[in-house]
Amino acid sequence: MSEARLFKPRFNPAKPAFGILVFLLYLFLLAPLLIVFVVSFASNQYLSFPPEGLTFKWYEMLPEESTFVNGMRVSLIVAVIVTAIVLALGVPVALALDRFEFKAKAAVQSFFLSPLLIPSIVLALGMVLLFGPLNLNNTYTGIIIGHVAITIPFVIRTTLMSLATTDTSCEAAARILGAGSWTVFRRITLPIIQPGVIAGGVIAFIVSFDEAVISLFVAESGLPTLPVQVLRYVENSADAAVAALSVILILISLAVVVVVERVMGLRKALR
Amino acid sequence: MTESKLSIVDLTKRYAAGLDPAVDRLNMEVEEGHLVALLGPSGCGKTTTLRMVAGLMDPTAGSIVVDGKEITHTPVNKRGMGMVFQSYALFPHMNVEQNVAFGLQMRQTSKSEQKRRVAGALDMVQLGHLSKRQVKELSGGQQQRIALARALVVEPTLLLLDEPLSNLDAKLRETMRTEIRSIQQRTRATTLFVTHDQDEALDMADRIAVMNGGLIEQFGSPTDVYERPRTRFVANFIGQANFLNARVLSETGSAAKGETHYRVSIDGLGQFGAVGAPGLTGSTHELVIRPHRLRVSLQPAGTETIAGVIERVNYTGDALSVAVKAGDRVLQAQMPTSSGDLPRAGDAAYLSWNEQDAYLLPTPVKEPAA
Ligand SMILES: Nc1ncnc2c1ncn2[C@@H]1O[C@H](COP(=O)(O)OP(=O)(O)O)[C@@H](O)[C@H]1O
Ligand SMILES: [Mg+2]
Repeated sequence: MSEARLFKPRFNPAKPAFGILVFLLYLFLLAPLLIVFVVSFASNQYLSFPPEGLTFKWYEMLPEESTFVNGMRVSLIVAVIVTAIVLALGVPVALALDRFEFKAKAAVQSFFLSPLLIPSIVLALGMVLLFGPLNLNNTYTGIIIGHVAITIPFVIRTTLMSLATTDTSCEAAARILGAGSWTVFRRITLPIIQPGVIAGGVIAFIVSFDEAVISLFVAESGLPTLPVQVLRYVENSADAAVAALSVILILISLAVVVVVERVMGLRKALR
Repeated sequence: MTESKLSIVDLTKRYAAGLDPAVDRLNMEVEEGHLVALLGPSGCGKTTTLRMVAGLMDPTAGSIVVDGKEITHTPVNKRGMGMVFQSYALFPHMNVEQNVAFGLQMRQTSKSEQKRRVAGALDMVQLGHLSKRQVKELSGGQQQRIALARALVVEPTLLLLDEPLSNLDAKLRETMRTEIRSIQQRTRATTLFVTHDQDEALDMADRIAVMNGGLIEQFGSPTDVYERPRTRFVANFIGQANFLNARVLSETGSAAKGETHYRVSIDGLGQFGAVGAPGLTGSTHELVIRPHRLRVSLQPAGTETIAGVIERVNYTGDALSVAVKAGDRVLQAQMPTSSGDLPRAGDAAYLSWNEQDAYLLPTPVKEPAA
């Protein structure tokens, strides 16, 4: 009988092997992070492994290193503004792509998703050349335009995914019950696609905060972001301060994800 | 002329230029308090019609009048309708109470009034105890009732139901059929009910609009469309039917409801009595006889009978269907079952009927070109 196959054997020798494989894969992916973490506490004078002793001096150095502090400020301002813009643009674009049939639909879709496929270095080069005559190099506007271009595909993708699983008759039902377009969007559509929108926003924030190539081309001299400062720092000095900084950055990213998850999770539980 | 609650005048929808219209010059008058079923096979334009009445879709032509006011171009959120979707379309991020209250909030009803009416609507569908439940914690039947409560709580001008029972299992469908009908009668909500299930339509509706290819083939009471189908399509779609081409020879008297008795001749089988609209003499019409209205006798009996041979017997416990071959035709008939001997394939059978059960379709059959 074919049904017999549905019963799994009690001991499957593939299982422990699979577990080991997964463990090794994780180890491989996380090893660089672990090393950075260890090195950030190492007293070695230069960036190297294994550690010779334990110290907190690299962390103590960070607030005094003005390039890092300035870079952090620029990066945060950029990431926050980019996230806001990209949500304000990306969600309507995704809605239009999902809900309307129009002639240029395929073209619009590929246009907004194309930055994912083009190497950032090519984009960055194009932007420098374009921004020159517009006086946008070394300005917030320039960096933000660049970051919006590379992060908007994420928001559109995650929002489209949420939209694909929603029942459009919910919106129709709300309209029949007397809701105008804006009320329908605010009270029905947005809450339903909220998980996709938030996920897109978080990814956009992290990608922008992390972005080095475009920032380097567009604003290296005038308005260096944190990743640019890190690159510069590593060029000139070889101590473990960057490792300490990296750990801080990882913790910030983690904190964003955890906070969002908590807030969302909480809200869901309360509803 | 009594004012109807809803008038649909020459309503037409063409999805794209060049395509056949999905709804083609549809006309319908619905009385206050009636439940009207839009009945027809899939793709005949039922949903399109309903969505135009709801305002979710603009008609290509024609008009919709409710309570004497033309609403053809009134925006959907200003029409004050209530609709239950096939998928129920409950708001997944709100609980039961919030779902039902939504329409009242849109109408700026006071908080206390909202509370009272939501409770009333939930009681009406017997789900008062679930008011704080999340939508996804409800069964299909419960979601259906909440959707109904949400539509009715606003006291809609029209209640629109698009195949509300098709996602339920057979048992629950029967229960909900009765329940929806009784709630509809209690609230006297004028209702359009889309379905492709003729039993549902016959059981629930005051009037049935039988649709086919974007047209209404017939609009009438359940007994009208069942007993007096206007077209072959209607006779076939609602219940089963035998069709026999009959030449109408002469009138033999007047029948009830303005109809006329006729003598007809059926090729190769003889002359019989039938009934139909006045003025059919001289042309050929299709004669419709329901299988259970055919008397089957195993001995020759009387004169106006069709003699044949039983070709097939289907025993379902309650009934016995037999296929009787007479000449080159096969007729379906039903017999009461008994615990005694049952007829078998190969037995001789003699079919007869009451004159008023043999109905001539009003439109003549086109004579084959000689
Ligand atoms: N959005 C649409 N675009 C083009 N054609 C459509 C659309 N919706 C329905 N149709 C067509 O219109 C006809 C009627 O559809 P519908 O009203 O949904 O039928 P029913 O509800 O009776 O099954 C069908 O032939 C269907 O294919
Ligand atoms: Mg339909």
